[in-house]
Amino acid sequence: MLKTFLLNLKLFLLYSSSHKLRTFLTTLGLIIGIGSLVLIVSLGNSAQKSIAVQMQKLGTNLITILPGGSEEGKPASQLFSSQEITTLKYEDAQALKDTPGIVALTAYVRGTVVLNYLNKTKNVLFSGVEPEYLLVENTQIEKGRFFNEDENESMAKVVVLGWQIAKDLFQRSDPLGKKIKINNQNFKIIGVMKKRGKIMFFDYDKEIFLPLKTAQKIILGIDHINFIRAKAVNEKLIPLISTYFKKTLRYRHRITEAKKDDFTIKDSQQMLDIFYKTTNTLKLFLAIIASVSLLVGGIGIANVMYVIVDERIREIGLRKAVGAKNSDILYQFLLESIILTLIGGVIGIFLGILAEFLISVIANRFGLLWPFIISWPSIFISLFVSFLIGLFFGFLPARKASQFSPAQAMRYE
Amino acid sequence: MFIKLIDVKKDYLSGKVVTPALRGVNLEIKRGEFVAIVGSSGSGKSTLMHIIGLLDKPTAGKYLLSNKDVSSLSDDQLAYLRNEKIGFVFQSFNLLPKISVLDNVLLPTLYSKETNHSKAKKEAISLLEKVGLKEKITVKPNEISGGEQQRVAIVRALINNPDLVLADEPTGNLDSKSSKVIMEIFSKIHQEGKTIIIVTHEDNIAKYAQRIVTMKDGKII
Repeated sequence: MLKTFLLNLKLFLLYSSSHKLRTFLTTLGLIIGIGSLVLIVSLGNSAQKSIAVQMQKLGTNLITILPGGSEEGKPASQLFSSQEITTLKYEDAQALKDTPGIVALTAYVRGTVVLNYLNKTKNVLFSGVEPEYLLVENTQIEKGRFFNEDENESMAKVVVLGWQIAKDLFQRSDPLGKKIKINNQNFKIIGVMKKRGKIMFFDYDKEIFLPLKTAQKIILGIDHINFIRAKAVNEKLIPLISTYFKKTLRYRHRITEAKKDDFTIKDSQQMLDIFYKTTNTLKLFLAIIASVSLLVGGIGIANVMYVIVDERIREIGLRKAVGAKNSDILYQFLLESIILTLIGGVIGIFLGILAEFLISVIANRFGLLWPFIISWPSIFISLFVSFLIGLFFGFLPARKASQFSPAQAMRYE
Repeated sequence: MFIKLIDVKKDYLSGKVVTPALRGVNLEIKRGEFVAIVGSSGSGKSTLMHIIGLLDKPTAGKYLLSNKDVSSLSDDQLAYLRNEKIGFVFQSFNLLPKISVLDNVLLPTLYSKETNHSKAKKEAISLLEKVGLKEKITVKPNEISGGEQQRVAIVRALINNPDLVLADEPTGNLDSKSSKVIMEIFSKIHQEGKTIIIVTHEDNIAKYAQRIVTMKDGKII
């Protein structure tokens, strides 16, 4: 049995090595299919890992309140709405500040402004926040100071620059105390943030920070805020704090039914879960597309197996004449097609990993945090899928081979 | 009686046209006989050999091999008999080109349940020695002459120690010198007690046999 297997294996390798190009071309579909499957899964894993790491950089134990309701386990409706939802107010944030169990809490407004210094003009993102921002997001000032509560309340025209902005505008000179124009109004620079890097899709070093009320009233001229973020003392307190937030906001907004909530509370873990859910769906979708090329690859395999069977009808006849049973011939050709697809699978896996490696090298060169992850489950699944393709698409040709009558096969020219 | 054919008929079907190849053959062959089946091409002699060798099934009639009716046997049982009881030699040698002479000889043992591999290998080498191919066991078939290839094919036919050896025009692709060597080997095998049936259209080959059966238009005359 083993001897038969080994001889058949040897024969197959000898035959296919004499048709290298043909063998390669027919397995190409499979190689591409398996390769892209491996690539997609590991790219997905790397992206998820990268974002998970960045979310941790943003701070742990965070609770975010977004305007607008949402369904359980789904992203807040605000994320999908083109119109700004205005249900959250500055006063809501103030009312939540004495919630037990939180380290700090701040309201946010965000937008873009035109920045002007000497002859330099820049479009930049800004965050309008409260002084507690530093505590909530676990970040620090490099030079000068952050604004205080008085400056916020009095809508003072002061600004704290992101690290990169300060560098771009002032090079080596000291920006502290200098005046810059924001949307054509003079603002005094009181501080520069520490370098923080990109988190998710935001480059915090290229932002500027304004007192919340200044940003809200003077820059944006609005009455609402974009979101509220709080940091809990520890993870265990998050559900309790969320409940407290919910009760307070429902009371303030005169809401009696949970269904009618005009706000959404998400903690960092929930955000991560939602993110994973969404990206997993995307991964699955892409994997299904890649599977189509596997199907095409499988048809290629079936095709070449028919050609191989036709070329070797006399051999089949001879083997039957010397005593091979139908099942011996069936196994022989199934074995060949499975080996063919396994070899294709291994090449595909190798190419997929290589592509993923190159992408991670390039991404890291461009400053993106992009870990190179080899996904073992996807490799084993790919091998198993290759095996199944060999078995499935090799079956009909192998069965055809096994059912020639020996005399018929021997006569074949 | 070792082989007994009773009114065996064989029709070939190509599309809707039925071509009769055997039109009622009656033949008896005793164990240990050396029989030559002769006839012009298209007389049905190869078809007869295929049926005797269990490579094909008759359309009608009865075939008793060792007093057993083989028409009721399954494909697997027929494969078993071909493997254990019958050895084949073909006009075009039918060796597998990619593997060594020795591996070609051992091919039938791959499909035999009882084979002890190292014993079979020893047996193969000793048989190859007997036919003068001791030096060629590791070479590929395309590196040796036609006569040598046919000797390899004969050794392959003998490796499972069959009772019956069938040869279809075994010298058809060989020169007269090689043909003589091959026929002498068949004579020797016959002397060792095997039943041999050779299909040929050459009289000087047929004369090695004890008995000549002549066919014409699908019948024995």
